[in-house]
Amino acid sequence: MPQMGVSVAEGTVVQWRKQPGDWVQADETIAEVSTDKIDTEIPSPASGRVVEILVQVGVTVDVGVALARIATGAAAATAPVPAAAPAPATPGSSAKLASAPRPARPGASSQPRAAEPAPRSHGARLSPVVQRIAEEHGVDLDAIEGTGRDGRVRKQDIMAYVEAHGGARPPAGAGEPVLHSESPYRPGAGGSLAHGPYVPPEGRPLSRMRSLIGEHMHRSLQTAATCTTWIEVDMSRIEIARKQLAITALPLISRCVIHALVEFPHVNAWLQDDVHTIHEQVNLGIAVDLGDDGLIVPVVRGAQDLSPEGLSRRIRDLARRARARQLSPDDVRDGTFTITNPGQFGSLMATPVISLPQVAILDIEAIVKRPVVVTDQFGEDAIAIRPMVILGLSWDHRAIDGALAARFLANVKKRAESYEA
Amino acid sequence: MTEMTYLRAISDGLRTEMRSDERVLLMGEDIGVFGGAFKVTDGFFDEFGASRVMDTPLAESAIIGTAIGAAVVGMRPVCEMQFADFVACGFDQLVNTAAKMYYRQDLPVNITVRLPSGGGFSGGPFHSQNPESWFMHAPGVKVVAPSTAEDAKGLIIASMRDPNPVVYMEHKHLYRRVKGEVPEGSYETPFRARVAREGEDLVVIAYGAMVHTALEATADLAGASVMVLDLRSLKPLDEEAILGAVRHCSKVVIVDEANETCAAGAQVAALIAEHAFEDLDGPVVRVATPDCPIPFSPPLEAAVLPSVDRVREACRQLIEY
Amino acid sequence: MATSSTEVPSGPTAPAGPAHLTPGDRVGLLRAMLLMRAVEARAMNLYRQGKVPGSFYDGFGQEAVSVGAAWAMSAADRLCVLHRDLGAHLVRGVDPATILSQYMGREAGVTGGRDGNVHFGDRRTGCVGMTSMLPDMMLVATGMAMAFKLRGEARCALTWFGDGSTSRGDFHEAMNWAGVQRLPVIFVLENNQFAYSTPTHLQYAVDPIERAAGYGFPGVSVDGNDAEAVFEATREARERAIAGGGPTLIEAVTMRMHGHGAHDDMKYVPKALVEEWRKKDPIDRQSARVAALGHDVDALREEVRAQVEQATEVALAGPMPDPATATDRVFHPRDGEEILLEDGAAPWSGFGATS
Repeated sequence: MPQMGVSVAEGTVVQWRKQPGDWVQADETIAEVSTDKIDTEIPSPASGRVVEILVQVGVTVDVGVALARIATGAAAATAPVPAAAPAPATPGSSAKLASAPRPARPGASSQPRAAEPAPRSHGARLSPVVQRIAEEHGVDLDAIEGTGRDGRVRKQDIMAYVEAHGGARPPAGAGEPVLHSESPYRPGAGGSLAHGPYVPPEGRPLSRMRSLIGEHMHRSLQTAATCTTWIEVDMSRIEIARKQLAITALPLISRCVIHALVEFPHVNAWLQDDVHTIHEQVNLGIAVDLGDDGLIVPVVRGAQDLSPEGLSRRIRDLARRARARQLSPDDVRDGTFTITNPGQFGSLMATPVISLPQVAILDIEAIVKRPVVVTDQFGEDAIAIRPMVILGLSWDHRAIDGALAARFLANVKKRAESYEA
Repeated sequence: MTEMTYLRAISDGLRTEMRSDERVLLMGEDIGVFGGAFKVTDGFFDEFGASRVMDTPLAESAIIGTAIGAAVVGMRPVCEMQFADFVACGFDQLVNTAAKMYYRQDLPVNITVRLPSGGGFSGGPFHSQNPESWFMHAPGVKVVAPSTAEDAKGLIIASMRDPNPVVYMEHKHLYRRVKGEVPEGSYETPFRARVAREGEDLVVIAYGAMVHTALEATADLAGASVMVLDLRSLKPLDEEAILGAVRHCSKVVIVDEANETCAAGAQVAALIAEHAFEDLDGPVVRVATPDCPIPFSPPLEAAVLPSVDRVREACRQLIEY
Repeated sequence: MATSSTEVPSGPTAPAGPAHLTPGDRVGLLRAMLLMRAVEARAMNLYRQGKVPGSFYDGFGQEAVSVGAAWAMSAADRLCVLHRDLGAHLVRGVDPATILSQYMGREAGVTGGRDGNVHFGDRRTGCVGMTSMLPDMMLVATGMAMAFKLRGEARCALTWFGDGSTSRGDFHEAMNWAGVQRLPVIFVLENNQFAYSTPTHLQYAVDPIERAAGYGFPGVSVDGNDAEAVFEATREARERAIAGGGPTLIEAVTMRMHGHGAHDDMKYVPKALVEEWRKKDPIDRQSARVAALGHDVDALREEVRAQVEQATEVALAGPMPDPATATDRVFHPRDGEEILLEDGAAPWSGFGATS
């Protein structure tokens, strides 16, 4: 409803010149309205097809309220015509409604134009940096409130969202996909309420992928003498380095783990039947969640030679290819150690399953800000807020023992807590 | 450290280097006995004499051409064009003879050409220009443009020591209006950019007088935190600093006092569009003087030179985008 | 006319005598001119065979202007050499193989392929390479002379330039500056009658020689096809300059015997004019003098021919420049060594050289 006159606050629709399905040119009269100052014709603000009339004849609305929707551009050709049109006050227009829907313009697809970035529900454009951050953090842009012009999502908006969800560390590492969660404590898993006699629904066979994964897991638990040891790590320095290098925490922790593996090569080993192989090279497997299809563990070969930035790039690339189902068999072979990083949902600890024939696997859950005791150089204690994470190492007791596992974890902790970019 | 004007800092730099390097020779119109049209070389004649502070004929091509000759036999001439606008009369010698000599003949030409540039005081079309991009475009010439007193001294010294032809843009409007703490003795400012103010939400990239305009325009902008990047060196451009600032702030306004088409800012914008595309949260915005000669009458001149208000408005709109 | 005496009376009406030239010098002048002609003839050949890219310019018939003037320059003097002055490069010590490589754009050329044909100056011989904007080099030479005077050094600078270039502003600015500051610079105006297709009467209303006085220094006209006359005029000018007498404009009157470049058939030049000047060929004239000294000119020609053949072989064997280096060396690094012009060869006996 336009404002016609400084003091005008509302207006009434007197007549619709166009009906849903009609084409209207920009500046062509589309409706007549009446205010207490003036009766006037309203020119259409754009060329397109009328999609929906929102305010009926005889209804009074405030200035600024939308009166109708017009589809412009390619969408105009296929904008849906509502099946039930509101009863028109003026004769003659019903004939149009009764007619068959117009055929789509040749060549028009039902998808939005590819040239524009996929329009979100708030219809605003997404800038390159917002798209990049969204991809890196696996953020659903529809979930974000935009504070830019016309509701546009600005960089601040997505950064604030990322900060608020999962803390300063991006969920599952920025750029890496949501990683597999092997935690048996998945929300919704298990639990039961006692009701009356229970009639179970029809069961279905597991998908092939699921079966294969299940088989692998089961075999591992049956073969390896799996134990898990945990340690708590202060991630403050990793956080600082992460921001400086503009990467996520995962490649930085991985670097610490790789260094520790070089110092503790028994943890970077294979045990197949009785053959024990200690590896010098670190082929780091990173578990990648594939949603309903389960998980897969692509391997970064020769990870010991990569800088954190190099690791970050490789991990991102493998994850991308994994989700696009473009991994080759070589990409998933010969891992000597695996990291799983499912902390996105906030879980704290897990008992990961070792990927045979490796002898250990490291689980990294959520980074949570917690009050911790810090001691200064004078021996005085104080409480500080620190980003803490719990690292869980599942290890095969046939190949290593608890003391070694603990020392390995302590080594990773020390490196992470003293990390310098 | 001493507080001094931008103009005195330039003098200080020239004098410091002349005292320590007898090869330095100042050449220009009215710079000797008269001390220079803007008094940059006031007192130099008495200290160094006619053989080192040369009152030349009115001949820009000759000033630069003879400087080239002197340079290739071991002197370090510093040419003054009385107004930047007059460098057009010596354009050929600078971009054809000086600029290409090293590339073609392995003979470096260590000359410095000082250009008192810029408008804002009713100088009119021939005394207000900012012709730096003519020389950014000529391969073999470096271009620098200080905005502070400290950089004015450091950059003139660095320019004299650079073995290549260097065009030094000294902004006339800053001569006496900008003061700052300047270190004693000899020092060089590197041909790199400088962060004039840190910020997060948007970066204004500028140089010369426009740095001060940018600082004033963004001092208090609805609580937004605006970085100001002072380029200082136009050729070479500090690509690392520019791209780093854009990566950090994601929104950028580039201010040129020079005429818009192909001003230095156009090259900065192209650089950002190509190399920082994924860091952008909004279009690259430019504020520049339109493509017209700089008019003489105050309201006309004020209407074309980028004002504090114009810069502020551009920043405000981009922040909200 | 052949005589066995080397003594020739000199005076205002006598032909330029070799008062300051030993027999060795006179042979040297001829050798240099023969070399220039032979190198340019060979280069023209290579150009017609497609081995010289771009365009080709020569100074056929004008050899005396560059050789004669260069012969008077000391090792510490500095020269700005133009496109019809190849003889100056040869006198200063640039070897023919390097010159031919330069024409062919090879890596071994003086500029390593960065500039073409005669746009070169080997800084190790004290020569500054020309630009195409003429007479830019008049100002550069003036500047070098200015530095010498400021530093109190007994050396001078010399530049060549053509009749056409006197119409441009830089001619005036250089003449004026040199005159005002009384600089030790020698301006050698090669008046070869044509600037491309433009004859001198369309170039200026008053002969440049007559205008020199307007700038405060002498203008001298010499027979540009007499190497010994050119030498003598230059030698005198240099003496004056070193003694603090300021600049001299020497007009060397000659004729451009080939087109402006190899691409020009010079149809606009009256054939009679060309014939008239062919009779005054500088090499023929000097050959006569040298033969009169009892020197075997044919043997000299053969020597030069063999030298150029050898140089051609060397040049043809050289590689083209590496494309990857095309954008190198636009700027000299801050911490690079200082590079200046160096002294060139100075074969005149008057500098103690033995030819």
